[in-house]
Amino acid sequence: MKRRISRFCMYFFLTLGAVIMLFPFFWMFSSAFKTTQEINKFPPQWLPGHLSLDNFRRAFAMAPFAKYFFNSVFVMVCSVGLTTFTTILAAFAFSRLRFPGRKLIFSLLLSLMMIPFEMLIITNYSTIVDLGLWDTLTALILPFTSSIFYTYILKGFFDSVSDSLYWSARIDGSSNWRYLWKVMVPMARPSLTTIILLNALASWNSFMWPMYVISSDKNRTLPWGLQVFTTEAGSYPELLMAASTVVVLPVIILFLFARKYIVRGVARGGLKG
Amino acid sequence: MRVVLDHVTKRFADVTAVSEFSATLEDGELVSLLGPSGCGKSTLLNMLSGILPVSGGRIYFDDQDVTGMPPEKRGIGLVFQNYALYPHMTVMGNICFPLETQRVPKAERIERANEIARLVHVDMLMNRKPSELSGGQQQRVAIARALVKNPRLLLLDEPLSNLDARLRLEMREEIRRIQQRTGVTTIFVTHDQEEALSISDRIVLMKAGVLQQNDLPQSLYNEPANQFVADFLGNPPINNLPGTVEDGAFVAADGKARCALPMLAGVENGRNVNLSVRSESFVLDENGPMACEVTRVYQMGKEEMAYLTFGGTDFRAYIDSEEGLRKGDAVRLSLKRRGVFLFDRETGERIR
Amino acid sequence: MKKNKQKPDRELVDRSFLARIEPYLYLLPFFLGIAVFTLYPVVNVVLMSFKEDYSYLTREFSQWGLANYDKVLSDPKFAQAVGNTLKYVLLVVPISTLISVIVANLLNQKLRFSALFQTAYFLPMVTSVTAVGLAWKLMYNKNFGIINYILSFFGIDKIPWLENAAWSIPSLVIFGVWNILPFTIILLLSGLQNIDPQYYTAARVDGSGSLRIFLRITVPLLAPTIFLVCIVNTISCFKVFSELYPLFNGKPGPFYNLYTVVYYIRYAMMENRKYGVAAAAAIVLFGFIFVFTMIQRVVQSWMSARKR
Repeated sequence: MKRRISRFCMYFFLTLGAVIMLFPFFWMFSSAFKTTQEINKFPPQWLPGHLSLDNFRRAFAMAPFAKYFFNSVFVMVCSVGLTTFTTILAAFAFSRLRFPGRKLIFSLLLSLMMIPFEMLIITNYSTIVDLGLWDTLTALILPFTSSIFYTYILKGFFDSVSDSLYWSARIDGSSNWRYLWKVMVPMARPSLTTIILLNALASWNSFMWPMYVISSDKNRTLPWGLQVFTTEAGSYPELLMAASTVVVLPVIILFLFARKYIVRGVARGGLKG
Repeated sequence: MRVVLDHVTKRFADVTAVSEFSATLEDGELVSLLGPSGCGKSTLLNMLSGILPVSGGRIYFDDQDVTGMPPEKRGIGLVFQNYALYPHMTVMGNICFPLETQRVPKAERIERANEIARLVHVDMLMNRKPSELSGGQQQRVAIARALVKNPRLLLLDEPLSNLDARLRLEMREEIRRIQQRTGVTTIFVTHDQEEALSISDRIVLMKAGVLQQNDLPQSLYNEPANQFVADFLGNPPINNLPGTVEDGAFVAADGKARCALPMLAGVENGRNVNLSVRSESFVLDENGPMACEVTRVYQMGKEEMAYLTFGGTDFRAYIDSEEGLRKGDAVRLSLKRRGVFLFDRETGERIR
Repeated sequence: MKKNKQKPDRELVDRSFLARIEPYLYLLPFFLGIAVFTLYPVVNVVLMSFKEDYSYLTREFSQWGLANYDKVLSDPKFAQAVGNTLKYVLLVVPISTLISVIVANLLNQKLRFSALFQTAYFLPMVTSVTAVGLAWKLMYNKNFGIINYILSFFGIDKIPWLENAAWSIPSLVIFGVWNILPFTIILLLSGLQNIDPQYYTAARVDGSGSLRIFLRITVPLLAPTIFLVCIVNTISCFKVFSELYPLFNGKPGPFYNLYTVVYYIRYAMMENRKYGVAAAAAIVLFGFIFVFTMIQRVVQSWMSARKR
């Protein structure tokens, strides 16, 4: 009996906590469908009267959210693609290939990981301006083509692959390049998926850097575009919520499918980063 | 293909793993590299494959000096102890991999893979992944992958150690069968002397990096070059009776028990020796020169294994069960000609 | 004893030119990015912090010296920024850790609907801070906000969450805790799963109840992980910036009262164009982070040494 009560308590508290955690999302989605009157009511109305995509249409008309969306996707695909490529090559080099100072260089890189981006931004900002890339999408991609963190994770996996597979392939006459792409990379699918997902999330949600380097509407990405939208739509929270929903929904859907990978990736990298 | 090793040496920091190793292995032979852990046999194998560079000496494949040649150019096939199968590829994919690397056209690849798979009996498993195979099956696939490129030398590193006892018996016969069908010169590393004795054309026995004996299996058994060889081969292990020689007779460790043996003629007095006798080389003989006492008797179906003692030393002997020995019996034994050796106790060198 | 240090035998590899530069070719794309956007900035910022009167436009500076550091460390605004940042850290980290320990422990029990619970607790981690920040801003609204509405049921008057300097701190902290909770729970959960269940079994056999087990066994065994999580969160909270933006429309608090270190750097850069000062402030920020990172490293190596 005591067990039953304690079990019930556990479910109760967990559910209560879960409701609190999810509540802002609920409020966001429900507000996204409310009319202006509904949203300014007090006491607040819990659910919208009826579902209509009106707010979405209006928000998209007031600010180029479609463009923002496309920009976010474009930047994400490019930067994640490039980073994954450089990460695979670098992780392989550090794991399998021999060159002088290999271990030393890698430890130096690991210590670089603790440098906060907030410090590097001072120079990166002027570098981008100097290169004439201010207010371009390239500026959002270029600084994010390599990652020490993801290289560290992938190297960890590569290290765990038995030497004998490598020698087997070598004896068969396989080149390093062939071995990397035909054997190592397919075997690394879980680790790579995790890296790609984490990287994609970081890129999609990135706010500070776009805020610094992008000023024109046509180049904004979603989070920054959303923030800018508050100046125009500040008195229409229902429009803001509609726009926020657009930013958040793809990620939520991704999370529902790929939760395990994402959680595993965070758990593994959390204490290092 | 003929393999010649000429004073091959391998040093790691201050440890010499292989020391001045010289041997010739003929074409088409199945040779086992035998020895206890740490004797340098795997090191030698790795030098043959090119994975490990030599510190000294030379290696020749059919008169071609391959000592400085990288592994991919040597034309060898290698089967690792853990098989090293690519987990994300099917059996077909694994076997085809070496051919893909050599850019063999697809149709020919598949045909050769199927052919080799039939030889090693994995042809019905072609679509499975390694994780879906048993240990024995994985090993067959590994062998197939090594053989599919028609190597001139096949190297196997402890191929049977990961298998259970019954599978080991079956697979060693399989290795023998496959080797004889293909005729490829094969070298396999093992620490199991029974395995080596049963299937090899030739055994190379090593200890602490030094070659002990390179000979036909039966010769290592019947004519061991030194104490170590005699101890290593044979199950149950050879019986070593320590003592000295005095006037053509063997005097046991206790100084009292004596055994006159014709084979001791010419051995100088006072020499510290081991009289090593195989368990099957004792004969019950009421006129025999050895006076022993029975301490234990085990009935094992068709034969008896008796534990006896002579001059304070215990030993095992196979005795014909019709006699019906019992504990405490005093018996006399004589020795056969075969399976009896005399070794110098200090150096291990064979005297008789 | 003579130590014979012998050079290892040369590996049998292809000695052609292409083969020898091969590793460097693999590293090239990676290092291009790192060199330009990580290595160079590090050096550049460090140097810049010592360039007095650094002009961004002309790249000229008057001399090498510590004037920037002097300015930063004696600036009352910086002191305020550090104070605010510390306030944030000292509130968010303990609160989030405490809640996370409890939640992680609950999630670790074999309960049904674990997938649903996990989704609920982990969702804030993957969503954009800006987007959820705007939702919270709506919720925090004094007159129409849902939070004040719910509080009215408990007889509490309307709280000016985002308009009042005093209340702006809890608004930020609550939001910050909510944001950091998923990450913290995940790490603690993974730490919990590393505890050998045999300890629990042994305790149950001894007749201990759930609460006792939690307090006397789980928490002590989890202590190193808790400590590490605190360190990691402290480092991350030091950099608080994006959380403020959506809540207060880009301003650090209703009356600039939540001015943080990163905001200081931003203003030094963008408003005052004093890059040297910004660099010095960034280095000070890094100094804090460095100290905590070192503590983390020490604890981590101590922990793995203990495992043996």
